[in-house]
Amino acid sequence: MRNWLIALLIVGLISLWGCQPSDKKAEVTTETEANTDETEETQELTEQVKVAVAGPFTGTAAAFGEMIERGAKLKAKQINEAGGINGRKLVLTFGDDAGTDKEAKLVATRFATDKEILAVVGHFNSSCSLAGKDIYKANGIVELSPGSTNVSVCEGSDWTFRNLYRDDFQGTFIARYIKNILTKYKSVAVLFDNDDYGRGLRDAFTAEAKNIDLEVVASVAYDRENTDFSTQLTKIKSKKPGVIFISGLYEQAALIVKQARKLGIRSLFFGADGIDSPDFLKNAGISAEGTYLTTPFTFGAGGEEAAKVATAFEAEFGVPPDTWAALTYDAMGMIAEAIEKTYNKDAALAENRKAIRDHLASLDTPEEGYKGITGLTYFDINGDTVNKPAYVKVVIDGKYTTAPKQMPNMDAFE
Amino acid sequence: MEQFFQQLINGIVLGGIYALIAVGYTMVYGIIQLINFAHGEIFMLGAYIAFTLVMFFPIPLWVAILVSMLFCAGVGMLMDVVAYKPLRTAPRLSALITAIGVSIGLQNLARMIWGAKPQSFSEDTLPKFFQQINPLVEPTSFLNIFGVSFTENAIQFSEGVSLAYLDLTIIILAIVLMVGLNRLVSLTKIGKAMRACAQNRVAANLMGIKTNRVIAITFAIGSALGAVAGVMVGVRENISPLMGFHKGVAAFAAAVLGGIGNITGAMIGGLLMGLAEVFGAGYIDSFIEFVCNNIGLGQFYEDEKISHSYGSGYRVAISYIVMIIVILIRPTGLFGKSSAHRA
Repeated sequence: MRNWLIALLIVGLISLWGCQPSDKKAEVTTETEANTDETEETQELTEQVKVAVAGPFTGTAAAFGEMIERGAKLKAKQINEAGGINGRKLVLTFGDDAGTDKEAKLVATRFATDKEILAVVGHFNSSCSLAGKDIYKANGIVELSPGSTNVSVCEGSDWTFRNLYRDDFQGTFIARYIKNILTKYKSVAVLFDNDDYGRGLRDAFTAEAKNIDLEVVASVAYDRENTDFSTQLTKIKSKKPGVIFISGLYEQAALIVKQARKLGIRSLFFGADGIDSPDFLKNAGISAEGTYLTTPFTFGAGGEEAAKVATAFEAEFGVPPDTWAALTYDAMGMIAEAIEKTYNKDAALAENRKAIRDHLASLDTPEEGYKGITGLTYFDINGDTVNKPAYVKVVIDGKYTTAPKQMPNMDAFE
Repeated sequence: MEQFFQQLINGIVLGGIYALIAVGYTMVYGIIQLINFAHGEIFMLGAYIAFTLVMFFPIPLWVAILVSMLFCAGVGMLMDVVAYKPLRTAPRLSALITAIGVSIGLQNLARMIWGAKPQSFSEDTLPKFFQQINPLVEPTSFLNIFGVSFTENAIQFSEGVSLAYLDLTIIILAIVLMVGLNRLVSLTKIGKAMRACAQNRVAANLMGIKTNRVIAITFAIGSALGAVAGVMVGVRENISPLMGFHKGVAAFAAAVLGGIGNITGAMIGGLLMGLAEVFGAGYIDSFIEFVCNNIGLGQFYEDEKISHSYGSGYRVAISYIVMIIVILIRPTGLFGKSSAHRA
């Protein structure tokens, strides 16, 4: 009896354990396969081209990953319904980096050494894009990030691109916005996530704050595993800052604003694109009211084309798209366009991959840029996008609202 | 000075939570010499059960806490019967590995049921005085005695020192439950039986004490206390399948710090651990700055950008350092006795 129970327990445990890491991936693959069958029957696209999407589909940034996956799927579906890429079906494969550099390396290796994948859209977290960069470079495959904003993401590799601004732009922008537009507030405290994204953004912000005489009264780190921020907040509270700038991601930011309000801190909160997620609003509740944030794109400021995509997105997934879905949608569009223009069925994989890279690198002037829903995308010598503006949103009545005062021109950045 | 008192409050609250969890580790260890690694998962389940109850039924939070305590007590006893009882006479390592297995199993069970994304209690399921208030509106103070004002969700001692009612509740709950447990162990018959089992299980059995029942009750009490801590952490922070691991490890360290097997030790150890974490994280940067300035490295400190307070990012590490130092000096922990006199 006892032995039997133990055996049962062990079997149970193993099966439970076995389920956990793979269930998300399994789900993603089956969905893609299901899609494949369906479209092949209706469209008879016999030949296919394969593009990979890497992002944090599980882990603490999973809310971003969800939107990235949906943005990519929507674009691929629309392309395939319109006849594919030169009559070839666009097939996606997803890789979960869980938002950690360790997993990102594994995903990058798997994609880079794959015999079919032509290009990679991803990663999202700056640490992940950086971790994958050398692997993609060594294997000669494009990495186009729709979310990494750390300054050094594209540096030193001809194979890494991104379709949004960098943190030095974003950090500078936020410092200036506080100085020029939120003039009521005279001092700032910084609370930063101790990873590439959080530190990079913090550096840009504090450097510019120093330039323009915006007083930074404290700069305090937190670890992403933390759920109790009362110690850090108490340190900041004693400095009585007008604004608290959170240089980190939505999950911690939601806890931070909640706990800050409980501690009686009534400073204004300002975040960056890392807190631009519906989950921030959901988790922070009423404590998020009045929080400002910058974002690379907002549907409120997008054109007609963006509105159409938003409608299609909502019809497909039942929720409105966010910034990251839009940027992924465009990144996927760019890759598809590059494949369309350069793909040669008879050429070797490496040549096709190279041709995609060369095409992206050739988009270096506004005239040649890719026109997507998030605006015009073209690259500088590093593969960075330097022309895209930052938008400011503010939380009003539990919703992101485009802030009444935007700052379209930032003199230092022309 | 205000910062000091505010940090003191933060430390006591965290310490109270650690103490509640640590007691569960230490009681089980005291009686069957097993480090029950799955105890952190009981704590996590406690939070999830209360969360689910208030989500789906119109019941107040305190009822949910009671149900959650009962449920977790049941899970604790079940865990003992299924996983540990068959291994009672096996080498201690087998039971330890089983405990790790149960821990991983429960973690993934929670992930399957509630998902990997962290969740928060929705505001309308909480009592009024735990709820958040709109930060854009000035908090109203409805009572003011000697400069201490009582607002909707906190007591303001002064401008820089406040104590949320939620935190106050955690402190009171921790004290009441700790005192209750202490009385239970030292005054009641079952407490006497527990102490007897801790001293010598075989001899206790020969004296007519039903040791298996005593062990089951020990699991139940420890788990129920863990469940309370779980709900409070769930309300104060958030709920995720990994919360039991993060807080559990720190609480286990607290139990070791106090001398594992000793209930009073676990209470004091928990409190010390909370204070060490908060004060370590709160003051290490000032300390580093002070040292750098006094040995002529002030410029280096500025240049190397360590003027950003990194220390608070390593708050967990700081508490472990404290534990390691104590263990090096007193291997039995602060209140630990040699194995013959446990509990």
